[in-house]
Amino acid sequence: MTATATAPAPSTRHQIFSFTRVTAIASNTLLELVRLKVFYFLLIFGFIVIGISFFTSKMTFQEQHQALKSASLGAMSIFTWLLAVLATAMLLPKDIEDRTLYTILAKPVPRFEYLLGKFVGVLLLLFIALSLMSMLFLAVLYFAEQGAIEQTIRTTPPQDLPAALDQVHRSTFNSDLLPGIVVIYFKSALCAALTLLISTFASSSIFTVIVSVIAALIGHIQPIAREAYLSSGNAGPLAKAFFALVALAMPDLRALDLADDVIAGNVIPMLLFLKTIGLGSTYIGVYFLVGYFMFAGKEL
Amino acid sequence: MATPAISIQNVTKVYPIPFKREKVTAVKDLSLTVEPGQVYGLLGPNGSGKSTTMKIVLGLVSPTSGTTEIFGRDSTAVASREEVGFLPENPYFYKYLTGEETLNFYGKLCGLSRARIRERSKELLKLVGLESAADRRLGGYSKGMLQRIGLAQAMIQEPRLLVLDEPTAGVDPAGSREIRDLILDFKTRGITVLLCSHLLEQVQEICDRIGILHRGAMIREGKLEDLISIQSQTELILENATPALLAEIQAMIAASPAKIVEQRKPQKTLERYFLDVTTDQP
Repeated sequence: MTATATAPAPSTRHQIFSFTRVTAIASNTLLELVRLKVFYFLLIFGFIVIGISFFTSKMTFQEQHQALKSASLGAMSIFTWLLAVLATAMLLPKDIEDRTLYTILAKPVPRFEYLLGKFVGVLLLLFIALSLMSMLFLAVLYFAEQGAIEQTIRTTPPQDLPAALDQVHRSTFNSDLLPGIVVIYFKSALCAALTLLISTFASSSIFTVIVSVIAALIGHIQPIAREAYLSSGNAGPLAKAFFALVALAMPDLRALDLADDVIAGNVIPMLLFLKTIGLGSTYIGVYFLVGYFMFAGKEL
Repeated sequence: MATPAISIQNVTKVYPIPFKREKVTAVKDLSLTVEPGQVYGLLGPNGSGKSTTMKIVLGLVSPTSGTTEIFGRDSTAVASREEVGFLPENPYFYKYLTGEETLNFYGKLCGLSRARIRERSKELLKLVGLESAADRRLGGYSKGMLQRIGLAQAMIQEPRLLVLDEPTAGVDPAGSREIRDLILDFKTRGITVLLCSHLLEQVQEICDRIGILHRGAMIREGKLEDLISIQSQTELILENATPALLAEIQAMIAASPAKIVEQRKPQKTLERYFLDVTTDQP
């Protein structure tokens, strides 16, 4: 028996791209990741930053500030990278395993928007995590500076005080701190984009994490290995082509690391900063697009 | 003639086996049409190609050959999914969202306005009997409640077609009956339903037409009553028949070329009996 009346056609008109759909997926992804209690690592970061300032209290203030910046920026870089890999690796496999992906893609949601929403969610998480770490780091640095200023005022003759205070200020806050942190963000975003790409063809989260970690290691050591091998004179055309291919697929992640310059107090030229951001953004875009093409053809 | 809700024409789906030269044919030259307003039951043993067929209809999997259309639109086009609601087997929605937030999320994915989402959520939560659980997280929902919120999310954009994969799997008899009643309600609203289920008794109760898949091929297809009726036999159920009347009928039958195949007291189903004894009496 067939019903006499059939349901009317829907009144909504499908949009090829919808910002609302991407925002809905991104905000839900952020909520999903936050609910996984990923921010516990901030406690460890807090211990590191406060611990460094405590254990270096007997050093000169320049050494103390340098150690604080070195440990904090290093920890920020590692934690955001870890967060990028671990958070991104679970997104797609979990949605497939729980079949929530089916309910989402059975709605009028293009796969591009789904993937973009997931990626934006991770980027938001990284932004929040790095902002919280930066605030904590800058607060500890500020208190360290205040301590150094008080000590300098107490121990320095009045005629030398302006120069001494300037030295204190330069050893703590300098204008390159912010670009250094921005580059850490782009590096972690690049690793997230690479992990997302890997997760589009990986069979599990663990496999994605392992391959992403290996890829990051290759990104860190391949320029050194390439230089060493090519300068040995044994490199044939095949080896050169292989290195070129690896270098193209995986950027020199050391080039995306300006923390050493920031810690040393070196000035980061604007051109270098923009080039680094440009390189990071290009790879993020390429990885995302390749990931999309893999995902678009994926049989679910 | 109305455009079919689902039109599958000569669809074949072949999956390559990784690292081997062999291939698996999940669906073989399948053709079927589901008319608007029909409840169509797709049956078959495990591995018969039911899920693959559903995924092809939903555009989650591309057919190796053949075409699939939903209300005349190619089902591989994202826009065709405006007309479809889907409830997968054993779905796990986002556990941290409440029932209302879940509908809000899926409503946004369908491009509905905030006001429309609010309106639809209210309607659907009432329809599936989850009004009192609207603010509870799905992590605390029972299996039956999850299936019902799944049905609500499938219906959020008022689709003309519902694809349901084992909608009562793992649900207790009372919950199963509630879901069955919901499907019957959708049917009266003129919504086309493509249903996959192993519960043949339930399929028999609600489907107008069925198709039986076996090893990827459609082996039987048609109107339910045509397929399962025994044309040479007639069932006569009498109430308050006296022994004299029964004796008279039997004598008439004995005098005719017909014969009684079986005579018994009709039984209620075990499900009906279970529900009768477990439902609270007033």
